[in-house]
Amino acid sequence: MKLASVIFRKELKDHARDRRSILSSLLVPLLGPLTFLAMFSVIASWMREDRPLIVPVAGAQNAPNLIAFLQRHGAIVEPAPPDYEAQVRDGKLDLAISVPEDYGKEFEAGRSAPVQIVEDSSRTKSRPQVMRARRILEAYSRRTSALRMIARGISPVLVAPLELTSVDLATPEKTAANVLGMMPLFLLMAVFIGGLHVAIDSTAGERERGSLEPLLVNPVSPSAVVTGKWLATIAATLLALAIALAGFEFAIARVPLQDLGIKFRLGSQEVMGLLAAVVPLALFAAALQITLALFARTFKEAQTYLSVLMLIPMMPAMFISLQPIRATLPMMVVPVFGQTLLMSDVLRGEPAPALWFAIAALTSALCAALLLTWAARLLRSEKIVFGRSGGA
Amino acid sequence: MIEVRGLHKEFGPVVAVDDVSFSAADGVVTGLLGPNGAGKTTTLRILTTLIVPDRGKALIDGQDVALDSIEARKRIGVLPDARGLYPRLTAREHVRYAAELHGMNGSGLTSRIAELLDLLDMRSIADRRVEGFSHGERVKVALARALVHGPRNVMLDEPTNGLDVLSTRAVRDLIRRLRDQGKCVLFSSHVMQEVSALCDRIVVIARGRVVAEGTPDEIKARAGKDNLEEAFVSVIGTDQGLVQ
Repeated sequence: MKLASVIFRKELKDHARDRRSILSSLLVPLLGPLTFLAMFSVIASWMREDRPLIVPVAGAQNAPNLIAFLQRHGAIVEPAPPDYEAQVRDGKLDLAISVPEDYGKEFEAGRSAPVQIVEDSSRTKSRPQVMRARRILEAYSRRTSALRMIARGISPVLVAPLELTSVDLATPEKTAANVLGMMPLFLLMAVFIGGLHVAIDSTAGERERGSLEPLLVNPVSPSAVVTGKWLATIAATLLALAIALAGFEFAIARVPLQDLGIKFRLGSQEVMGLLAAVVPLALFAAALQITLALFARTFKEAQTYLSVLMLIPMMPAMFISLQPIRATLPMMVVPVFGQTLLMSDVLRGEPAPALWFAIAALTSALCAALLLTWAARLLRSEKIVFGRSGGA
Repeated sequence: MIEVRGLHKEFGPVVAVDDVSFSAADGVVTGLLGPNGAGKTTTLRILTTLIVPDRGKALIDGQDVALDSIEARKRIGVLPDARGLYPRLTAREHVRYAAELHGMNGSGLTSRIAELLDLLDMRSIADRRVEGFSHGERVKVALARALVHGPRNVMLDEPTNGLDVLSTRAVRDLIRRLRDQGKCVLFSSHVMQEVSALCDRIVVIARGRVVAEGTPDEIKARAGKDNLEEAFVSVIGTDQGLVQ
């Protein structure tokens, strides 16, 4: 074990000087927080309810009652500029309402009076404003029809056979977990990509450089070699993970989550929960990378294989982020899958019992131990040490 | 003391080493001469325990390397075919890494490294990263790494391959110095000038077999030639790949 620590320290020193190792440990984990920052800010600016509803109206004089109703329901009514259609098309206006001259005549006569909402439905940004204006107009329409029916002695209830109301049972935290469901995915990415460069460079890269043979002629057992390199990979992975979490902390603190109606915080309790779930997974991820990279002939080959292979363990996580499922105890024995569920539960504010964390951690550690045993065996094989050529 | 007895190793259909036996004594420089592909590197790799022979035994100081490979590796210093350095580490860090892998540490190690770097005339490059090193400088780093633990048995695979005249001289001096210290030095080469300039004993290998063994005079006498070069050609059967 003393020799494993010699190897561990050498790998750390070596990779701390390597720009590519640093980049893959630093930049990849920031991908998630940056995506969050961008995504949430954009959505929040669309949905912000306190943005005043400005309704440019053309022909306001034709429908004074309707205008008064709009104003009473919070809309700021402005006279529409003459080129309002062009302005809506260019996105300068969210919408405009046009009231034709015969509105009053039709309304008086008890017929359907024409009102136009001018909108550009391809602009997602305008959609909430259009919806708000439409809701007010529909309310006006319903009220008028009710009054007309009462005037004719008909109960308005007759034309409303269903009374629809929706009761939203999702707690704010649950909604948040849905939106933040991508976070476990990004943390997994940090775990599976953060140490990848170190793992490949210290195995396939070591052989390609021709430094594996000089290393193995020293009186050091293959398991010590594998352990040292594994620990170095874990160190890089944990660094990536720490950066990812700090990035999320930063992103979530600046994102106007309350504007989205989401109550969510990434406090120390949540961070502890996430770490408890995902740190043991780093043991497994690092062991998997070291072992698989030993099979590759060159650094490039390992990089190609592994960046694709590392997507496989992430697939269940992608599935869960799209289609949340209820965690059960047996699911905890599946590495990656278990951890993803644990993380989702933590983010939802309903962490699983400690036993579940322990089981998930234990299976990850067990898989790591098996993989490392295998890797140490591979290092005893001349085919692996000298490449497929076998040596002459 | 290095000994091999009846070594045999096949890679698929290729017989790399076929019943090779020889010994290299302490205080003697033994040269393993043969054309490329003759089986020199495979023989050395069996001695360094990285390749397991199909048949036969390799012994270091009388102990079978297969029985305790870690113990065998403690007794040897190896300059492998692949010099393999870490571009981002300095020369000194390479030597220290190897020493620590041999369980050395403390102040004794620091002075041992300084001594070795002086011996190989590497003081000026000791704290530079090796990525910009010349071929000769790289070989020096690899040699220092192989010798830091003061092994009794030294195996060098083509140590002067690709070196310029000055570096070649430095390596030859080092090899003679090791012999004078009573070490067992075994080195392989496909260059007969190299072998004849340095070796007390020569083992000639061709196509995986030992075709001649002895002092230069014995080899000349056995081949019936008065010049070593012609003696080699005569025992190997061809001069292909033997001249630089």
